[in-house]
Amino acid sequence: MLFPTVDFALFFCLVFLGHWVFNHDARAWKWFMIGASYFFYAWWDARYLLLLAGVSVICQLAAITVSRQDDDRRRMWAMGVGVALTLAPLLFFKYYGFFTVNVTNASAALGLRLSPPLIQVILPIGVSFYTFMAISYVVDVYHRKFAVSSWTDVTLYLSFFPHLVAGPIVRPSELIPQLDVRRDARHVDVVGAGWLILGGLFKKVVIANFLATAIVDEVFGDPTRHGALEIGVGIVAYAVQIYCDFSGYTDIAIGIAKLLGFQFPQNFDRPYSARSIQEFWRRWHMTLSRWLRDYLYIPLGGSRKGTARTYANLMITMLLGGLWHGAAWHFIVWGGLHGVYLMIGQWKRSLRERGVLAALPQGRWVEVLRWLGAFGLVCVAWVFFRADSVGTALTMLRRVLSGAGGQTDLVTVRVLAAIAIGLATQFVPHAPAERIKASISRLQPIPMGVAAGVVLFAITTLGPRGVAPFIYFQF
Amino acid sequence: MAAGRTFIVIAVTLLVWTVLYSPELRRSAEAAPTGTRRSISLALLTPVAWLSDHIGLTNVTDAAARAAGRDPDAAVGGVVGGVQVGVDDLPEPTGSPKPSRPVVRNTPIRSPTFDRQLRVAVVGDSLAAGIGYFAERVFKPFFVEVYKQGRVSTGLARPDYFNWPGQMQSIVDRADPDLVLVMVGENDNQGLLYPDGSLEQDIGTFEWASHYEQRVQRFAEIATSGRGHLIWIGLPNERDRGRWEFIQRQNAIFERVAARMPNVAYFDTWHTFEAADGTYNAYYRDGDEVTQIRTDDGVHFNTDGYTLLMEKVAEFTTQEFRLDNKTYET
Repeated sequence: MLFPTVDFALFFCLVFLGHWVFNHDARAWKWFMIGASYFFYAWWDARYLLLLAGVSVICQLAAITVSRQDDDRRRMWAMGVGVALTLAPLLFFKYYGFFTVNVTNASAALGLRLSPPLIQVILPIGVSFYTFMAISYVVDVYHRKFAVSSWTDVTLYLSFFPHLVAGPIVRPSELIPQLDVRRDARHVDVVGAGWLILGGLFKKVVIANFLATAIVDEVFGDPTRHGALEIGVGIVAYAVQIYCDFSGYTDIAIGIAKLLGFQFPQNFDRPYSARSIQEFWRRWHMTLSRWLRDYLYIPLGGSRKGTARTYANLMITMLLGGLWHGAAWHFIVWGGLHGVYLMIGQWKRSLRERGVLAALPQGRWVEVLRWLGAFGLVCVAWVFFRADSVGTALTMLRRVLSGAGGQTDLVTVRVLAAIAIGLATQFVPHAPAERIKASISRLQPIPMGVAAGVVLFAITTLGPRGVAPFIYFQF
Repeated sequence: MAAGRTFIVIAVTLLVWTVLYSPELRRSAEAAPTGTRRSISLALLTPVAWLSDHIGLTNVTDAAARAAGRDPDAAVGGVVGGVQVGVDDLPEPTGSPKPSRPVVRNTPIRSPTFDRQLRVAVVGDSLAAGIGYFAERVFKPFFVEVYKQGRVSTGLARPDYFNWPGQMQSIVDRADPDLVLVMVGENDNQGLLYPDGSLEQDIGTFEWASHYEQRVQRFAEIATSGRGHLIWIGLPNERDRGRWEFIQRQNAIFERVAARMPNVAYFDTWHTFEAADGTYNAYYRDGDEVTQIRTDDGVHFNTDGYTLLMEKVAEFTTQEFRLDNKTYET
């Protein structure tokens, strides 16, 4: 079930009523919400409920087993086996096709003729997200940061519908304690939630979908038909599209959770205002970044084991981050590029610390140049992320760098305006929005609903027809 | 705000939006396959849309859509192969004279010249939208101009929702295509309706196939009425075996129509991409090399699949109508 659909609107109205009806009884409320969340997931394909339930069972059994080990070595083994078993379905569903094709073709090139069965494995929606949350739970229990929870709590933690299909990746300590707190029915932050939901829809439906149809899909579809200007603008448009698409989805998810009285962690913090790649990763898909940091980079040794290991750990983390996004070489190249960026950033920092490199000069223009540099590097990496192959990405970059001529029909005022609006969201201060929200909160329910309905109509009218899935659903 | 008052806000928001957006919602419901869900949706939305029409709200909302650069009467869009498909603008009518006599035998496709590119229109449903997207990659832009005209969720069964014969006539009049590639039928497993929405022939009846064949024939006649050539791209097999028999009946109709018309040929997608044992195959094996060609839905092709299909169709067109092979890359 997609958020911006009539189906979801009807589903949510019923869930909202049930949620507050059962609010006084924690046990009944949890079963009601598990039922609603499983129904939400089953709307896509009921067969995959077994997978969701299976991952929940595996991670809970793993956590119980880990918690019962007193010996550190056995505890670590139990955690390792638990994580591997939790990860196994994701590896199979997400990477079987990639593995099969590459093993078959590589072995043929070597004259070995290995051929794993050519079966089509369908990627269950959200599996990458709830698998990572399940791993968080097992590892946090291992580190004694979090105690083993009840079966119902773990089942609801993984399946809670606002985060189920595309995050944010919520830690057990951020959600499970909230499940037992009776939510205050007298204070629902309807204005804050509505702001996030309508703002998220605006970003998704008006900006992201428009840029996709107006320029991005055309330019990335066949770059040889487009000149340097169209491709260059198309690349920047994609940077705005993916931000508006994914942060729009996250805003809607956080807003929906807020209507139910839950607080989710922030997932985006104006990432394109970053002045370095390291800063970009502190602002982009923050719940994934911190997951990769806490459950991959730091366990690998982080920056504690010497310079070479630090670089290697950065690269491994980013390559696996790329592979997490999709089973294809262009995603791996995207991750690798960010690994290289971060390594260079780390190297420059170490040179500065040793006094080999002069400290960064200060000043507005220096900041602007740093921002442009970081944004440019991020855009170059996005080309590999969005293109359907490494070859297509290289063709695009080659045409931009060579200043290839061609038509400029796709570079319209509307496209440039949408890009400008998307980028402007990175720099607009928070204060005016807070003032508007304060004004709205003084309205009575019916005028507030009428105003929200008109805004919703404007958003759906301004966007292209049809419901385009969110980009991150495929991951 | 208290939960009860919050529910009022949510309910009023959705109610206001439903009233304002009812013409569009009704159109989306009309696009759905005939069945209970569609009937219920239309039963709920029709009175709301009627009210919207009669108090002039529809005119206001249509004007808002036009101001946003969107045609309120266009077909409902969608996503194919991960991209939101668009439809190319057609040129203004050329006013070029139409042939005075019908073509009676197969003729070769003209070679493109420096000042006159070959014009290729790709028409049909979401599968055609996918082909159109990748046709631009296979055909060389120097020689070929591609008009992407694939419309998601359309077919020949429901001219009340999208009138393909009328649209095809418009494409012929305005784009004057040398070659039309059509792939349609995926959404036609339903009753055949007239443009006014009344039923011509229900699905499952003995006469359905003959009526459908007449529609295919009529469409092919319009597509070739400007002396262009037509490749009717057959439907591929799907993961859902329950659909196989129906698709094969459709493909037989497409093939029969193509066989009896000049300048029309049928491309057999089904047998081109089936597995060695005749079953559905998500992969394509070329010698020792394997490529995944189908998406998870078991119906559509992925990027590699559409590109491969388009290459095969281009080669087939060369074989059938001597399409100059410098116009495309394989």
